[in-house]
Amino acid sequence: MPGFSAIGRKTRYHFINTGRILREQSLFKCIFIAIFAIVLEGGLCLLFLDGFEFLDSFSGIGSIIVSRLFSVFFFGMSCMLVMSSIVTSYVTIFRSDEVRFLLVRPFAMSDIVVYKFFESAMLSSWAFFFIIVPFISAFALHAKLSPAIALWTLLFSVPFLVVCAGLGTVAVILLVRWFPRVRIFKALSILVALSICLSAWWFLRTVYNPDEEALFDIARLVPGLRMASCELLPSWWFAEGIMALSRGQWFRGTMLWGVLLSSAALVTVCVEWIGSASFYDIWQLVCGSKNRGNRTAVLFRRLERMLTPLAHDVRAMILKDIRIFCRDPMQWSQALVFFGLLGLYFANLRSFKYEALPEEWRSIISFLNVFSVSAVMCSLGSRFIYPQLSLEGQGFWILGLSPTSSKRILLTKFLLSLVTMTSVSGALILLSTEMLKSDPAARIASFALICSVSLAVCGLSCGLGAIFLDLRQKNPAAIVSGFGGTLNLVLSLAFLLAAILPFGIIFHLNFRAAITPTTMRHALLAAGAWLVIITSLTTAIPIAMGVRSLNNRDF
Amino acid sequence: MIAINNLVKKFGDFTAVDNLCLDVPEGELFCFLGPNGAGKTTTIKMLTGLLKPTSGSAMLNGMDIQCHPVEVKKLLGYIPDMPYLYDRLTTTEFFKFTGDLYSIPDGKVAEELERSFDLFGLIEHRTALIKDLSHGLRQRLIYASTFLHDPKILFIDEPLIGLDPYTIRLIKRLLIRKARNGTTIFLTTHILPVAEDIADRIGIIADGRIVALGKNEELMSLHGADNLEDVFLKLTGKDPDDCLDSLP
Repeated sequence: MPGFSAIGRKTRYHFINTGRILREQSLFKCIFIAIFAIVLEGGLCLLFLDGFEFLDSFSGIGSIIVSRLFSVFFFGMSCMLVMSSIVTSYVTIFRSDEVRFLLVRPFAMSDIVVYKFFESAMLSSWAFFFIIVPFISAFALHAKLSPAIALWTLLFSVPFLVVCAGLGTVAVILLVRWFPRVRIFKALSILVALSICLSAWWFLRTVYNPDEEALFDIARLVPGLRMASCELLPSWWFAEGIMALSRGQWFRGTMLWGVLLSSAALVTVCVEWIGSASFYDIWQLVCGSKNRGNRTAVLFRRLERMLTPLAHDVRAMILKDIRIFCRDPMQWSQALVFFGLLGLYFANLRSFKYEALPEEWRSIISFLNVFSVSAVMCSLGSRFIYPQLSLEGQGFWILGLSPTSSKRILLTKFLLSLVTMTSVSGALILLSTEMLKSDPAARIASFALICSVSLAVCGLSCGLGAIFLDLRQKNPAAIVSGFGGTLNLVLSLAFLLAAILPFGIIFHLNFRAAITPTTMRHALLAAGAWLVIITSLTTAIPIAMGVRSLNNRDF
Repeated sequence: MIAINNLVKKFGDFTAVDNLCLDVPEGELFCFLGPNGAGKTTTIKMLTGLLKPTSGSAMLNGMDIQCHPVEVKKLLGYIPDMPYLYDRLTTTEFFKFTGDLYSIPDGKVAEELERSFDLFGLIEHRTALIKDLSHGLRQRLIYASTFLHDPKILFIDEPLIGLDPYTIRLIKRLLIRKARNGTTIFLTTHILPVAEDIADRIGIIADGRIVALGKNEELMSLHGADNLEDVFLKLTGKDPDDCLDSLP
C-alpha cells in the first residue's frame, strides 16, 4: 500500500518539524506549559489518592467500591471518548482540506477513511492519557501495586482507544449518510434514536447478576456502577484486564486483552468496509448540501430589529458574530454539549435526593455547583471567546479599516460574550439553587459569584485574545492550545479559586456554627468587597491591555 | 483523451452543469472560460473525481473515473485555485511525499527535485516550512510537485493567480511544451489574454452550458469580434458598458 507508506513518512516529517517549531518557541513558554502540566497531573494524582483513602475509610464496603470504581471510571471515559470521536471524526473526515487533496491522488476511498479514522482517534484521545495517568498512578500508590501497571495500562489503552474512536467514526459516517433531509423525518429519526438510547440504557441498568449481591447494594450508592459492570462492555474488559495482570492473573488478563484487541481489529475492519462502501457518496452529500436557512433568516431579522437601539457599527459586529456562530455546527454543537450536560445534571439533582440532605451538605453541593459551572465558563471562555478576534483572520482588515475604533471592536466582543455567558450561567445557577432549596443568602451569593466569574472570564478572554492575536491561524483548537490560550485558562482558573473559596469557607463555617452571625455578616461583606475588587481588576486590566495592543498593531 | 458525454451536475434544484458534451484530444491545451458561477470548477471537480455527476459520464484515457478511480488518478494531475499544502512539511519533504503517493522511486524523486526546484526557484527554500512560504512560492511548489509524476492529463483551475511575471511566463511556456509533448491540459482562467496566448482551443461556458467552442480565431470571426474579450462578453450576455450607462 504505497499510500499508507507515504502517509507514514509524511507523519514522521510532521512530528520532526513540530519538534523543530517547538524548539523555536520561547523557553519561558515551554517551561511554563511544562510546569503547569506537571502541577496539574500531580494535583489530580493527590486528589485521586485522597479519594481512594476516603473510600477505604469505610472499611469493607469502601474497598469493594474502590475495586468497582475502575469499571465506572473507564466506562465514563469510554462514553466521553465516543462523544469526542464523533465530533473529531466529522471534522477530520468531512471538513478537512486534506481529504480533498488525497481524493485526487491514487488513494482508495477505504484507505482515506482508515487514515483519517486513526488521525481522529489520536486527536480525540490525548486527553484520555492526561486523565488516566494520575488516576492509575494514584491507584497504584494506594494499592501498592508494581510499576508494571503502567505497561499493562498502555497495552490495554491502544485497542480501547481504537474501539471507542471507531464507534464514534462509524456513528458519524452512518449519521451523515442516513440522516434524513426532510424536517418531519429528521424529528422522527431523533425520536427513534432517543428511544433506542433510553432502551439500551434501561437494559444495561437492569442487568443484574444474582451472584453479586454486594454489587447490587453498592449500585444504589454509586450511580452507573451496575451499567459499568456489564461484562459486554470494552471498558469492563479494560478495567478487569489491567487489574488481573496487576494481580498476576496472566491467563485472565491476556484473555481480556485479546478480546479487546480483536474488537479493535473488528472495529477497524468495519470502518474500512463502511468507508469503502459509502464514503464517496457521503462526501458528495456533504459537498452538495446547502443550508436553506429560511427559519434562521426570520430569527436574524427579528434580532436585527431588537438591536436597532444600538449604534450601527456595534449592531453590525454583534449580528455578524451571532450569524457566524449559528451557521457553524461545530461551534454551537460544542457549546450545546457543554451546557446541555450541566443542565441535565442540575435538572436531575432531585433524583439524587440532595435537597433532603442537611443544610451544611447542601451548602457544599451548592458551592460545588457554582464551581462546576464556573469551571465550564473558564473552558468556554478559552474555547469560544479567546479565539474570537484571531478567527476574524484575513477578514480583520474589514473591521480594521472601518470607521470604528479598536476599543469599540473589543468592547463589543466583550459585551456580547458577557450577555451570553451571564444569561446561561445565571439560569443554570438559579436552577441549581432551586433544586437544592438553598437559603436566600446562599442563592444571592451563588448568583453574585457566577456573575463575577462571567465578567472576569469574558474580560480575560477578550483582553488576552487581543494581546495574543494570531490572524494567520484558521483552526480554533490551534489558537486555544497556544501560549495565550493556556495562560487565559490558567488565569481564569486562578480567579475562580480566589473568588469562590472565601464564600465557600464562610458558609461552611457558618453551618458548622464555628462563627457567630455577626462575624458571618462581616466576613460576607469582606468577601463581597474582595470579589468586587478582583473582578474589577481581572476584567479591566486585560481589556485595557488588549485595546492598547490592538492600537499598536500593524495589520 | 478527455471525452465528456451529457455531463450534468445538480445541487438540489440548481443545475450547475447542464448536459455538457466535449472532447479534448491528446496533447491539446484546452482553455475553459466562463463567468463566475458558470460551472467551470464544478466541471473540473467532476473530471477529477471530487464530485460525482448527477448523470452523464466522463472518460479519461478511455476509463471512467467513477469506475476506475485509482487507475485514472495515477494519470492525472490537478492544481486547484487554492491548493492544500501541509504547513508543517518543508518544501523538500512535500515533494518527496508526493513522489511516495505516486510510487516514484526515491532516486528519481531526488533527481527531479534538483531539476524542478531549480526551474521554479525553490532551491533556496528547500528547507523552509511550507507555512513560512509566500503565496507565490506555494504555487510554484504545487506546480513542481504536480509535474513530478508526469501526468498524462493536467487540470488547472486559475493557473496564474498570485504569480510574478517571471513565473507566469515560465508556466505558460511550460504548459505549451507539455502539451506539445503529449500532455492533455484542461485549464480554466479569467485572464482572457492568457487563453488567447496559449490555448489550442477554447470553450466558453455560461449557466452550465457550452455556448462557444473552437480556436480563438474561429470564435472571433464567427462572432464578428476583434478579440476574445468581446466574444466572451457577447456570449455571456452582459456588457459592463451597458451597466455603467445606467449609472448617474
